[in-house]
Amino acid sequence: MSAKRPHRWLQAGVNIAFIAALLTAISFLPPDTSLSDRQEAGVLKVCVPPSYPPLITGNPAEPGYDAELVAAIAGDLGLRLTVNTLPAIGQDFNPRNWFLTRAQCDLVAGGVADTVQTRGFLQTIPTAAETGWVGISATGTMPPTGSIVGVLPGTSGLDRLALSGWLRQQGLRAQLLRSPAQLQSSLESGAIAAAITERFVAGTIDLKENAFGLFWLPESIFPHYRMALGLWKGDQTLKRAVANALDNLAKTNVLNALEARYGLDGAIASTAE
Amino acid sequence: MSSPIILMRGVYGVWLREIMRATRDRGQMIGGVSRPLIWLLILGVGLNPYFRGEVYGEVRYVIPYTYLQFLFPAVIVLNIMYTSIQFAVSVIWDREFGFLREVLVSPMPRALILLGKVLGGSTVAMIHGGLVLILARFADVTLSLEQMAMALGLMFVLAFGLTCFGVVLAARVRSFEGFGVFSNTIILPLYFTSSSVFPLDPALTRTQTATAYPEWLVFLVQINPITYAVDALRGVVIGFNQFPPSYGPAVICTMALVFFIMALIDFGRS
Repeated sequence: MSAKRPHRWLQAGVNIAFIAALLTAISFLPPDTSLSDRQEAGVLKVCVPPSYPPLITGNPAEPGYDAELVAAIAGDLGLRLTVNTLPAIGQDFNPRNWFLTRAQCDLVAGGVADTVQTRGFLQTIPTAAETGWVGISATGTMPPTGSIVGVLPGTSGLDRLALSGWLRQQGLRAQLLRSPAQLQSSLESGAIAAAITERFVAGTIDLKENAFGLFWLPESIFPHYRMALGLWKGDQTLKRAVANALDNLAKTNVLNALEARYGLDGAIASTAE
Repeated sequence: MSSPIILMRGVYGVWLREIMRATRDRGQMIGGVSRPLIWLLILGVGLNPYFRGEVYGEVRYVIPYTYLQFLFPAVIVLNIMYTSIQFAVSVIWDREFGFLREVLVSPMPRALILLGKVLGGSTVAMIHGGLVLILARFADVTLSLEQMAMALGLMFVLAFGLTCFGVVLAARVRSFEGFGVFSNTIILPLYFTSSSVFPLDPALTRTQTATAYPEWLVFLVQINPITYAVDALRGVVIGFNQFPPSYGPAVICTMALVFFIMALIDFGRS
């Protein structure tokens, strides 16, 4: 009576399965202490700009999309939120120029664009907010060649050189505007045929109802940027926890409610190609 | 023995023997695990805090990924390099203990015997590279099925080229003792000069790069074919390329072809 020989793949299969199981178990080890440090301190520090509507408004009754979002995230993580207001945030798209330190913030909100430049400095978790150059005109499209177009660059750091080159190529004359109020008066008086500004600046201008339409400039030339929450590079466990908290908020419809409250769900109608 | 089916069965037999021998050998499998653990768990996590950026002027690491993410594709290549090149041990073993002689006197053409052995070595090396992918979650790397398929494809062609390189080395080494120097004189220098553990910023010109690193080091990185293999895998796994994306696949395929021809010539002489 001979013993049954084991299958020829058995030992190989056992070895591979054992190693795969070992590596899978190891992949669940925490790669850093960023979350455990926060949990030990019980505080989540967030840096925001003084104002970047609708993400940060400075109005306690309606503090802004990002302000409410980070408060909800801190609540989900069981941490107390500490908000540090730093005027340098959002002054341009390069967060290195904001002079932030780890001592000030664990999380950066209200003006972080999800770009390669940002990701060279921070890890990002994109939010529902999206920005880019938008046009405003009575027709909801770019005016004909030879028209005057007002440009309010704002402080967002979108590509102004590309914009001026494109306007020249279209045969349009650019007029630099200094403020949202000047943009509004110039449009309403007919001094300019259209205006171009950053999406969030456009959202703050109180134009006559139904008199003007907003439209994105061609996306192939002017890409839209998702706004994001920024975390320090290497803070992997905190990033996972924030991403999980966002998933939880999405499941309970908190995110949808916030988007609706701050008008982020409203699509900008047309694109001038 | 001229029927293609019989010949392919012969190739399959040689391939299967290599797979069985490698996957049943616990020592080899443990080696395949210990490298990613040392490099990702110890070096990656250990150095990660020193590559966290803060204010401008103190930023040490300017590519848009974490150090662990940057290191991850390089560790895959390291695992493939060790397994492929150490495949030469199998060739020396077969030569020393007479198995190779027995196979070579069979009616199978030598080219097909070599193909079977190399395919076996490449498959084992790809499995070892694939094991590292299990640690993707740890390194915060998210892979789609398409990325995974592309990565495995690149890994296999790279493993094929390096396994052929192992055969070429085996033809020049007469003993097991002589093979021990390979890891110190070939694998590690190739790995460390492949931009595996430090980035060459693609935004910088050659002159600017030379201010960050000595010119001789930049030169070594640029002439090292493994640099382009790591870069190709990085492009697929984390979407970051330091060189034009077409360079990596082109270098990997050229390596596979050139080393297979060299291995064929050497194997024919043995």
